[in-house]
Amino acid sequence: MPPEDMGKLSDKLRLTFAVSTVICVLALAISPLKDFRAEWKHYKRWFVKYAQGRPDTKKLLADYSPSIDQVWLPGMNVTDRCTTCHQGIAQPSLSDASVPQPFRAHPPIPHNVRDWGCSICHRGQGPATEVAEAHETTLAWEQPILPAHFLQASCGSCHQTDLKETPQLARGRELLTHLNCQACHKLNNLDRPTLGPDLSSIGYKLTREWIYKWLKEPRTILDKDGNATVNGYENEDEPRMPKFRLKEDEIRALSAFLSAQKAKPIEKYKINPAVVAAWSKKPDLLSQGELRFRQMMCTTCHSLAVTRAGETKMIGGNIGPELTKVGSKVNEEWLVAWLWNPKGYLEHSNMPRYGWSDEDLYKVSQYVMNKLTDTDLLTNVPQLGAATEDEVKTGKRLFAEKGCASCHALSGIAPQKDFGPDLTALGAKNASELEFSKAKIEHNLVSYLQAKLQDPASVNPAARMPQYNWEQADLDAVTTALLSQTGPAPTSALQHLVVPRKDASFQPVGTFAEIYERYKCYACHRFNGYGGTLAPDLSYEGSRAQKKWIADFLKNPQTIRPTLILRMPQFNMSDKDAAITAEYLSIAVQKPGVDPESVDSRQFSPAMISMGKQLYEVKYQCQSCHTIGGTGGYVGPNLNNAGNWLTPGWIEAWLRNPQALQPDTIEPRRNLTEDEIRALTAYLMTLRTGIQAQTTKSAARAHLLVQGAGR
Amino acid sequence: MRSKPLMMLALPLASILCVLSLSGCKKAAAVVTPEQAFGVYDTEPDWNDSTKLISLGYQQSQGKRVFYQYCVWCHADATPAGPSNRSNLTPVPPLMNDGEKVNGESDEYMQNIIALGGSALGKSAMMPPYGKTLSAEEITAVIAFSRAIAQPPYQKPGRPGSQYTGKQ
Repeated sequence: MPPEDMGKLSDKLRLTFAVSTVICVLALAISPLKDFRAEWKHYKRWFVKYAQGRPDTKKLLADYSPSIDQVWLPGMNVTDRCTTCHQGIAQPSLSDASVPQPFRAHPPIPHNVRDWGCSICHRGQGPATEVAEAHETTLAWEQPILPAHFLQASCGSCHQTDLKETPQLARGRELLTHLNCQACHKLNNLDRPTLGPDLSSIGYKLTREWIYKWLKEPRTILDKDGNATVNGYENEDEPRMPKFRLKEDEIRALSAFLSAQKAKPIEKYKINPAVVAAWSKKPDLLSQGELRFRQMMCTTCHSLAVTRAGETKMIGGNIGPELTKVGSKVNEEWLVAWLWNPKGYLEHSNMPRYGWSDEDLYKVSQYVMNKLTDTDLLTNVPQLGAATEDEVKTGKRLFAEKGCASCHALSGIAPQKDFGPDLTALGAKNASELEFSKAKIEHNLVSYLQAKLQDPASVNPAARMPQYNWEQADLDAVTTALLSQTGPAPTSALQHLVVPRKDASFQPVGTFAEIYERYKCYACHRFNGYGGTLAPDLSYEGSRAQKKWIADFLKNPQTIRPTLILRMPQFNMSDKDAAITAEYLSIAVQKPGVDPESVDSRQFSPAMISMGKQLYEVKYQCQSCHTIGGTGGYVGPNLNNAGNWLTPGWIEAWLRNPQALQPDTIEPRRNLTEDEIRALTAYLMTLRTGIQAQTTKSAARAHLLVQGAGR
Repeated sequence: MRSKPLMMLALPLASILCVLSLSGCKKAAAVVTPEQAFGVYDTEPDWNDSTKLISLGYQQSQGKRVFYQYCVWCHADATPAGPSNRSNLTPVPPLMNDGEKVNGESDEYMQNIIALGGSALGKSAMMPPYGKTLSAEEITAVIAFSRAIAQPPYQKPGRPGSQYTGKQ
């Protein structure tokens, strides 16, 4: 470069400088322009415009600021900018469905958004300021918003007890328990499952052929066209044993192994030969057996398939197994021994021990063996013959490999814990942590869970998980319950908010403990939160019912509610057992604060009684729900025998505040004065007409039974 | 000047850059509406046509729970326990989805008859008061549920002289 040119800029350099300046200025202009056009600002401006078009503009715009709004809760790990666009969530006037989203008000919930933020329940990316980033899966964020349909899962992350507001979650948890998922998977806060049958002595009960059939098709029924419907009837009482994908040789080996299991010899019961001789020739043996089967309320726990007008329906309960074809399943000697004493074969069975007479035992067992049968049940099963040593060995290996020991006890094989993956943090998993294989589904947690539950092999061809047969509502419920398993809370503040599940237990003592265990009261009734839900909760029975009434009821159960079907079996309880039970219940299971002796029925005057009748019939019209005599409603219990049934102390406490005694009762709490309460109690205590027509008939039946039993 | 043509080149280049960066954010803005993407909270089969499902929001589904616990026994023809108590009563209680009877009543009237009972409003005492049993939220929720299932459909009463008259 010549020295005179030093300090002078060449044209070329000038041009480069000019161009780069222009580009620089333009590039700097992009940023404010982009910021002006930011998505959230669009919603901010829209909201102002929307509010100005409404009469309550001032109120809607009181808190308005043109910047990003956020709920910041450091202790709970919440930085939610959702309110930047969802500006109307706390404005009651915007609750109508015609208000466009994102401005609609949040429906009223027990939690305040200011204290909780949004993403704790709805998930999604709280700090995001773009619609897609906040709601959907992006490269950097794999927790998309939870579909509203499964939102109850979020309640379940903290509320480990069931809430009445979340029926879908409660149903899902119930199914996880009922289907024994915890046998293979680790799950948070679910009751310990009841196990599948103990198979230690299964060889006495079943033939190898039946086991083969069951493994191939757990529960089979032929429809009217003769096609086999595998895995149950189309109703909610599915068998709990799911369908495993087993190969032919595996089924052969397992059936061989199981039919060789005879660990503990059964205690045989010999029915009196005179009874057998007398009854075996009677033409009505089987119909009498059926009658007794029905009278003993076997269908309270067991179901039978009944075909009426070409339609097959399941009638009965689901506490015990379905019995439609049990006669083609079990060995007769085993059946008699089982009916006589269920505990002799299966220690943890829920089947009560009845006080059988030989005559009844013979009639019912003959009915079961000869009527509840299906001659075609084993037609497609090959003759398997005796089990070879090789088959038994393979079967034993398979029993462990397939995870059978997770549900079934078998002597000599240790139960397997945590056979399947740990699911305690499943609900918080990212989509990239899941295996989708070649399944053509959306890559997110909800669709993964639904695909896996419906067909485990669709997302993992090597899955060991068996096949279940869900109805859509149950599938959604289980998905919700699994989504609620989000593992330990992310921060200590949230950990502190977890509402733990209450431990329920009821352990009676003394002679009653033995009665309670023999008749398995807890299979249907609930005591202090422990037990079944089929029959009334008896936690406060001692405060509610009179002792004599309890004893009479146990001897001769009747329904009290007009719409209910009698389900309580008559156990042929001895007078002594009934008296002990009544005594125990009336002393030990009391509601604190309700004294059965607090009201003296001798002070009831005829004036009070007639005032009570007037209140009952005219002022409060209790007959809309309760029946007295032959008239009245079907909703509440029948009050015909209230004077013999209820304690006056209970009636008064109940009229004062029914929900205090039974929180979910539908009887409304009313503004009754103490005088009115006393008068109504006086009137109800006069109702002692009872259910005599029925009582006489059943008493006669009970009397005959006792004679038949020779007691 | 030689610089001019180059400047002419630089300007469109910069504007292209600018447009490109702006179009990036436009693309992200095109998302599906929340209703379509995130589903509904709960559903209730139409009482007159069980194949048709009515979608419910949170409040309406809480109302559904309250309804099936407390009201169904007399205000529906089928109940979870089977028979309905409706046919036992005189006067016969209205069905909860009977739009012709219920749509004409205001929310305030519905709240009052649920909370105070029939006798307080000069109707049959067979309708008991639920004001001390149900919370105010539960009563509002059950009204919202009855509005959702009403046949013919419920239309919010419009305010005369306002642009917010009821939607058609």
